[in-house]
Order: sequence, then structure tokens, then C-alpha cells
Amino acid sequence: MADFDAIVVGSGMSGGWSAKELAERGLKVLVLERGPEILPERDYTDRLPPWERPNLDRVPQDEIAEHYPRQYGGVAYAIKETTKHFWVKDDEHPYEEAEGTSYDWLRGYHTGGRSIMWSRQAYRLGPQDFEANGREGVGVDWPVRYEDIAPWYDHVERFAGIAGSAEGLTQLPDGVFQPPFALTCAEEDFKARVEAAFPGRNVIPARVAHVTAATEEQRGLGRSNCRVRNRCEHGCVYKAYFSSLNATLPAAQRTGNLTMVHNAIVQSIDYDPATARVTGVRVIDAETRERRVYTARVIFLNASTIASAMILLQSTSESFPNGLANRSDQVGRNLMDHISGAGASGLMAGFEDKTVYGRRPGGIYIPRYANVTETEKPFRRGFGFQGSATPVSTTGGQLVGIGRAFKESHSAPGPWRVGIGAFGEQLPSPENRVTLHPSRRDKWGNPVAILNVTYGDNERIMMEEARKDAIAMLEAAGCTDIRSAEVELTRPGNRIHEMGSARMGRDPATSVLNGWCQAHDVPNLFVTDGSFMASSACQNPSLTYMAFSARAAKYAADLMADGTL
Amino acid sequence: MISRRTVIKNLVISVGGSSLLSACGGRVTLGAAPPGGSPRFYTEREIAVLSRVSDLLLPRTETPGALDAQVPSLLDQLMAEWASRETQDEHRTALAELDARLGARSAGDFLDATSAVAEQALIAVDRAAFSGEQIEGYRDLKGLITQAYFATEAGAEESQWVGVPGRWDPCMERS
Repeated sequence: MADFDAIVVGSGMSGGWSAKELAERGLKVLVLERGPEILPERDYTDRLPPWERPNLDRVPQDEIAEHYPRQYGGVAYAIKETTKHFWVKDDEHPYEEAEGTSYDWLRGYHTGGRSIMWSRQAYRLGPQDFEANGREGVGVDWPVRYEDIAPWYDHVERFAGIAGSAEGLTQLPDGVFQPPFALTCAEEDFKARVEAAFPGRNVIPARVAHVTAATEEQRGLGRSNCRVRNRCEHGCVYKAYFSSLNATLPAAQRTGNLTMVHNAIVQSIDYDPATARVTGVRVIDAETRERRVYTARVIFLNASTIASAMILLQSTSESFPNGLANRSDQVGRNLMDHISGAGASGLMAGFEDKTVYGRRPGGIYIPRYANVTETEKPFRRGFGFQGSATPVSTTGGQLVGIGRAFKESHSAPGPWRVGIGAFGEQLPSPENRVTLHPSRRDKWGNPVAILNVTYGDNERIMMEEARKDAIAMLEAAGCTDIRSAEVELTRPGNRIHEMGSARMGRDPATSVLNGWCQAHDVPNLFVTDGSFMASSACQNPSLTYMAFSARAAKYAADLMADGTL
Repeated sequence: MISRRTVIKNLVISVGGSSLLSACGGRVTLGAAPPGGSPRFYTEREIAVLSRVSDLLLPRTETPGALDAQVPSLLDQLMAEWASRETQDEHRTALAELDARLGARSAGDFLDATSAVAEQALIAVDRAAFSGEQIEGYRDLKGLITQAYFATEAGAEESQWVGVPGRWDPCMERS
């Protein structure tokens, strides 16, 4: 008799969904979280006003050098004195990079994982994204199509709360939306000019996972509308933005079927060759070093793309000498992220007597047009732009003058600036991978990751073209003082959209998972974090992880109900 | 419940009242360290220079100034607690160079200069720094003073910062 019906490894963006959906089906669910517990009332810092944040909210420089050199190097904007507890200490959680490569593995270990710190941009993949691999012969064909996942996007959007506008764009399908954060007057002007100059390009409000018209279900979970404070990286006492901690975990908890264990670092998964099933997970307690085994009928891996692949690789047996569910040798391969490093900004005249009120969570989005509405590009796939057009901030002290005039210049009418930056698709490559270090171990005795990811010509050419496009759109919008740095590709991992390390596909010989996120080799093992992605598309991926997690959980629960599992 | 205005008034009292530095003809010696405290990072001279510069940059007008907001003591804490040794050294060097430049333009000691002379000296340095002249660390220092000011409750009021806007208005007339 197993301890639980299901074990979910990881409590972040996708793990919360797995737990919620399984628990709501009446299954007894254990969620294992490797980090400590986050208690919103104790650990959220969003209500601290600026004058109660010490030292301009800066983390001491010596502390950054000792504990956060990689994390801070990747996301300095998010690591503050009052948020640093949401990010791992690099010296406690080391990783290595293959010679000649560089990788930003940016993360937090605690209840909710990175769903607490994410940027909350939430977009559906479109039909083209599920068809491109097969059509182009790149990687493996997705075993699902947009129509398969569309109802699950509906399902997760309805629960999560997505502020967005219906635009009728094929490549970026509409969803179940709450009211969007309207475009600023300068963004409206930018939109009109860009869309007139470039038919086929669109400027729309960013779609963000923020409640703006709370439903009864959301209010029942203690969630309320976004207060437009822009304090999300500190947590949100209003639970207005979607996170596991704000939404899915409380929903799972209220079923009475959830058991949550913190500080439980999964070392491996046990496999029984007699039944060809996984039977449980082995963990070590992060604090006490105590080792335990939890058993269950079904296991969901939601540890995050790199960590889930590592757990599979660490789970060797006679049946799986190269790692659990890895007969295809694809576990850890095809690691992708999105790519940035191209953009532009410029001044927009005519709005000096206007300003905005509130600090909204998202700005504008320019959905992919390359190889959709515009063809004959010198690269495959495409990119979207994120950006905004707002009054130029003046509180950084970089205005000329002193005295009364200088002081009052901070509230005087001033210019507006529009800025856009590209997020591009990275093609899958089996050579881009995570492997286990042969000898180096972390302080819990687990192998350290070696990350080996490089970009190809397609990514480089794409970003050069994106930069040209950004400048052209700003010129079309009548901008002055256009600034655009030479393209400098972001380090792999820097967009914090890692995915693809256990891709889904139709053929067990070339893919790890089937279209239900179920391991080809092990029917009661599911992987529903970003690992399953067969291609990266260019949209922010979290919404897709949510939808596939919910769909996989329903599938698993059905198989358990009919006795198959 | 104490009102924001009362807090600001108390802050003003704690550093000795209005126009303490810029209006005085005599040598400036008082910094803006916490009442009863002494600087942790700055020397007495450094904090006196920093205080005078802060007061000239962001003086009390109809609203509190940098000294009312205790910006020098905030920077003293920042340098003591946040800055690495390298940053501390750079900051100290920048402050010394600024002191020397301001002294040269004050025909003597910047701290002994009259308000009018001190103001003209800082205007000249500021203009030069924003005209492309490399003045070691001045723009960074100005940035720190300004950021520290706007991060205080007084500065937040000056910039009309609202903790919980509660709504989004994408296009409104400036008041």
C-alpha cells in the first residue's frame, strides 16, 4: 500500500497545478518542496514603503559577491535587500558550465518556486508553434496540436486570472480574459503609427496573470484585484497575481487531500522492474540530512526543467542505466530558453502635459509577425517584443541643475520614452544539454549540474533582424533620440524560460514523454514542468506549463480511476 | 496615529530647523547624522561637505529638503552597511575631489564660503559634469543623494508617490 496516491516533486508554477488538479479529483497528494516554507504574512515584503527598506533596498555588495554573484548578475533588478530570500545562494547551490559556454541558472527554492518571482506575462502558443518542428524537420514533431491544448488554456486562464484584450490574432490566440491594463496615450499613438506603417504587426496590451475583475472562485481563495503597486517581486498580500502560493496550493489545500513537506530534496526515484512502474522517491532533508522514502501510485515531476532532468539522470537502475525513462537518450538534451539582446528606445513628443497614475504590471506586447504575417525572413521562427511608453523617470538624479529648479524639475512636465525588447525562439539542439558532474557533489551529496548551451546562427541572425525592426518601428512612430545598442545576446538561461530537457514526441526512440507528459518508458511517471516542451516558441511559457500540467493531471487521474494505473 | 506631516515636522526639528546650512554665513560644521549620533563612515569634514552639497541640490522649499529628510545620515548608513571597500574608497575619492573643486571655485574652503558663492560653485561643477566633462564620481554622488531623498517619506511626498494606487490611469493631465 503506497503512502500517497500521487507525489508531486516541486511546488512551483507547474507543481501547484499538478497538485491542485490531482487533489481536486480526490487523490491523496504529497507535494515535496526542496526549499523552506514561505508564509505570506511573514515573508512577503510588498507592504514596506521605500523608507522602511534599508539602504535603498540594496543588498550589501560583499554579500552579493559571496552569495549571489550569478543570481544578481542575471536579475539585479529583482534581488533586493527585501527580496533576496526568494533567490538561491550560489555558494550553496553551485553548478558548472561546459568550457567555452555560459549559463544563467536563476532560481529560488521555497514554497511556490519561481511562481513568486515571475514576470507574469501570460501568452498562449499558437497553432504555428505546434506545427513548426514537424513542418521544418527540426527536433521532433509535437504530438499535440493547438486544438488539443486550447480547452486547457481556457481552464487555467479562468482560474489563474489573466488580464488581456481579445485581438483575434491567429498566432497569439485569445483566451479567457479579465480587463486589460489599458495602453498609455503614447502607446496608443505608437500602436496607430506602427500598425499603419506595418500591416501585419500589432501593438497590444501585455497579457499578465493579474486579477482585475476577481471571480467568485478567486475571491474564495482570498484573492482580490491588482492594486497597481508594482511590488510583485516582493510577494502580494492581495494575492492579485497568480502564483502557486497565492492560488493553486491553497486550492489544493482546501480539498483536504494535500500534504506538503518542505526541505525535502529529491535524490532519486525508485523503479520496480517487475511492474515496470515507479514506486516512490528518495529524499534527503535539507536541514537535518535525514533520508526518507515516500511511496505513491503516480509521480509527477515538477522540479523545473533542469532539476527534473537531473533527478531522472540520478535515478539509475539495471533497467535504466542511463537514467530513468531515458531509453531515448534525450533526457537533459534540447535545453532551450528564449533569447533577447535586441531592442530600441526613443522619445515620443506630444505627451509632455500628460502622465499616468498607478504602476501597472505590464506594458505593450508586439506579437510575432516574422514568418507569420511577414515571410522571406533570413531565419526560422520569430520573436515578440515587450515594452512600454511612459513618462521618463527622473528620480535617479541624472538631470542637470541644482536647488529649487532641480527639485521641481522632478514633477515638471517631461518627455515620454518608448522602449521595446525582443524575446526570440531558440531552436532545439540535442547538443544543448544538462549532464551530471561525474564527481562534484553539493552539500547534500547530489551531483552538480554541468550546463552546456550555445546559440546557433538562427538565434544570432534573428536578433540582428529584430534590432533593425525595432529601430524601423520607432522611426515609423516618429520617435527622436532613438537609442539601440548593438546586439548582445543574453546568456542562455537569462530569460529564465528554460525548457525542453525531456521533450514530448510520438516516438519513444526519440522522445522522453508522450503527448500527455507521460514517460514513454514508465506509464506512472509524468513530467509537466518546462521539460516537456518540444520547441520553445517565442511566448513566455508559464501559461503553457500550467495548461499541460492540468491536462496531464486529468489524464493520470482518469487512468487511476479506470484501474490502468 | 501620527500623520505624515507630523513626522516630517519632527524630522525638521531633529536637524535643527530651516535653512540651517545654506543661510548661515559662518563655517558649516553640522552634518545630518542621527540626533546624538556620529557618522559611522564619513569624517566630520566629509559629512559637512556632503550636507552642504545635499542642501544646495535639494533645499527646503515649500516642501522638505534633503537635510529635512536626513539624506546625509542615510548615505552614511549606506556607505557603512552596503558599500564594499572598493566602493567606499571610490566614494571617498569622489567626495574629496568634489570638495577640492568646490573649494577652488569658492576661493578657499567650500565650507567657509557664503551661500551665494557655494551655490555658484556647485552650479559650475554640475554644469560641467552634465556637459561631458569627466568629474570623478559627481554624477554618481548626485544620483545617490537624489535617490536617497526620494526614498524617504518626505521625498515620496515631493514626488507624489502613492503606496497603493488602487487603479490604473493610462493618460491623465498633469496636475
